[in-house]
Amino acid sequence: MPESGDRLDITTFLLSAIHDMKNSLGVMVAFLEDALAAGEQAAPARARTAQALYEAQRVNEHLMQLLALYKIDQRFYPFDAREQVLADLAREALARVHTLARSRGVTLRCDCAEGAMGWFDYELVYGVTVQALHNALRYARSQVLLHAHADADGSVEIRIEDDGPGFPDFLLERDAPGPLAIRHDTGNTGLGLYFARVVAHLHGSGTRRGTIHLSNGGTLGGGRLVLRLP
Amino acid sequence: MNGSIGARPDLSAHAFLVVEDFEGMRAILRDMLARAGATRIVFAADAAAALVQMERQYFDVVLCDLHLGRGRNGQELLEEARQRRVLPPHTVWLMVSAEKTAEMVAGTVEARPDDYLIKPLTETLLYTRLARQMEKKRLLAPIEQAMRAGEPLKAQRLIDAALESASTHTWELKRLRADVAWHSGDDERARAIYEEVLARRDVPWAQLGLARIDVRHGDYATARARLQQLTAGSRAYLEAHDCLASVLERLGDLAGAQEILRQALNISPRAPHRLTHLGEVAFRRGDLDTAANALRRGIELARGTPAQDSQRYLTLVRVQLAGGDREAAMATLSQLARDHKDQADVRLVARAMEIPLRMRSGETTVAWALAQELAPRLRAGAAVLPTEVAFDLAGPLLELGDTETAAALMSAVVGNHHEHPEYPERIEALYARAGLAEEGRALVARAAREAIEIMDRGVRLFHAGKLTEAVATTRASLARMPDNARLLLNHAFLLIAGMERHGHDAADAQEARTCIERARRLKPEDRRAGELLARMEVIGHDFVA
Repeated sequence: MPESGDRLDITTFLLSAIHDMKNSLGVMVAFLEDALAAGEQAAPARARTAQALYEAQRVNEHLMQLLALYKIDQRFYPFDAREQVLADLAREALARVHTLARSRGVTLRCDCAEGAMGWFDYELVYGVTVQALHNALRYARSQVLLHAHADADGSVEIRIEDDGPGFPDFLLERDAPGPLAIRHDTGNTGLGLYFARVVAHLHGSGTRRGTIHLSNGGTLGGGRLVLRLP
Repeated sequence: MNGSIGARPDLSAHAFLVVEDFEGMRAILRDMLARAGATRIVFAADAAAALVQMERQYFDVVLCDLHLGRGRNGQELLEEARQRRVLPPHTVWLMVSAEKTAEMVAGTVEARPDDYLIKPLTETLLYTRLARQMEKKRLLAPIEQAMRAGEPLKAQRLIDAALESASTHTWELKRLRADVAWHSGDDERARAIYEEVLARRDVPWAQLGLARIDVRHGDYATARARLQQLTAGSRAYLEAHDCLASVLERLGDLAGAQEILRQALNISPRAPHRLTHLGEVAFRRGDLDTAANALRRGIELARGTPAQDSQRYLTLVRVQLAGGDREAAMATLSQLARDHKDQADVRLVARAMEIPLRMRSGETTVAWALAQELAPRLRAGAAVLPTEVAFDLAGPLLELGDTETAAALMSAVVGNHHEHPEYPERIEALYARAGLAEEGRALVARAAREAIEIMDRGVRLFHAGKLTEAVATTRASLARMPDNARLLLNHAFLLIAGMERHGHDAADAQEARTCIERARRLKPEDRRAGELLARMEVIGHDFVA
């Protein structure tokens, strides 16, 4: 039932185009993962394939985030916070970035109690976690740590740390919600961080809302992203 | 957590149905399942083929893509499979989709899959979700089984035991517990659970549960406030929208109800029940175009499925008649007869509705002949004729001079609904328009007196200790007033009282159950239905609720 007659605005085309692009990227990602898993290429080709995989996954994530942000903004995102097995989220997120980590020679470590139950919308928090892992993998020298912890009341803390050079100052300074200014010099649109903040804020308990916090240092000495959901 | 990523479950003992229109995706799913040992995998490329398979055998897991090309989608297939009861209680239904939809998350219990898998699908995702859901079903299947068997007390005991022993799925169990309590008429218990849950987390289903209880207690204003808060928070809470629309309708805010339904249909357009609701509300407001469009679309979507409903066609006929479009109304009646060619009662209604139509077109002779032909069958079946059809026919019949058939139809309406606040007035107005005001008043008074007498006779015999006679009386009365909810519940009550005295009787139990279910369909807000079901369950069991 269209809103008013046959009004087809640009949003309709954008949405269907995003879906279409996501499908194509899904196929591309699968091919690239297969190619890397087969391990038949010479080292330089492997590195380029890994880079292509990283870029394809990054675009895929951005599309997913745009779609979710649009629905959240229009108040029809089917937000589904419920009790979830935190270790399942950690497992699936790690499985998602596992090929890329191996091709880059980065060790993935995970610290999550098997029985921990958290209260969150699975797809959104998965999106934030995978994107943070990708980001950490991009800058890590040799290690990335995913730490996920849940309290008995279902509140959750997810921490992604790396041993890279850490976040630049302009990112650390911005801790308030709202989109970051687009920085054409670095190619950072701020979308990922904005998405993470919106996701954190959607989660709440009583008067408390979720938060995102960036810092440098941590156990591995590099960048650290902490997502806390009450 | 150990380092093994995506440990493979052992799927060798399970039967799978994969519903997927893309051959490539079917192969991917088959390979993933096979790598975990699955050998019993059946494929279906569309909803129709899937239903055939589900009717042929039971599956432990259904993996279903939401988009199945042309024809019904995965969501509609799930709802139909549940309605047709082709899924055993333990079946896990996983919906595979490129994105999460409102139906999967915030639809009714019948509309929600057990879980959903968002593409891209990976082995890890598939295996963990499968393992979690199969484990959950082991806990929930006996509860579901008890609920299907109409044993709410047993279900409650199973849930309470599970809540005590299991540390996982407590939210799901509480939701079920409240649901069972509500269905058994135990509103206080349901309310307590919802409030306890809300004290910990702001979950929409608990808010909706409280709103339902408000509605049942006639507290529409409170229900409205609660539901407005829910629907303002998210447009994706479809069930809350449907409930709010009903509440607004009861409060007389038809424009508000129509707007809420329109919003819900924007999010989830393929829902025949919602389209029907919109059609009815728009019709009451005089918005005939919206009404006709919604009803037509509802008919198209429901054709050939369990959601097909003759009432939808009849409402459309009324809308078309109100708009003066007699040709369209005639076409709808033909469609009604065609789509229900195996149901003689619906075919009779479709033909009988031609009477008011012909009268409107001035074809009095045709109408008269038709009335002559159908009158004996209409009189014989008056008690089971849909109420609105009886009203549609009574006026034209009076105009044609067939007062006998008109009186039979209207007496049946009063008998079936002797407590209804509006029907007597409508009948009297109808007779007054035909210049028979006096006869109308007399008919209503007589029929109401008879209904009350019949009702009292059973009660008096019961109080005099003559239970067998009381049962015989209410049973005989039901033949005349088969849609009288109070009489149905009275009859069930007497049968149950008999069993409480003399022990369980399979035939009586079945009869009581049928009466209760029928009464529940007619008057969903009546708590007595649930209370009687719970009472019946205690009979013949050695436990006390």
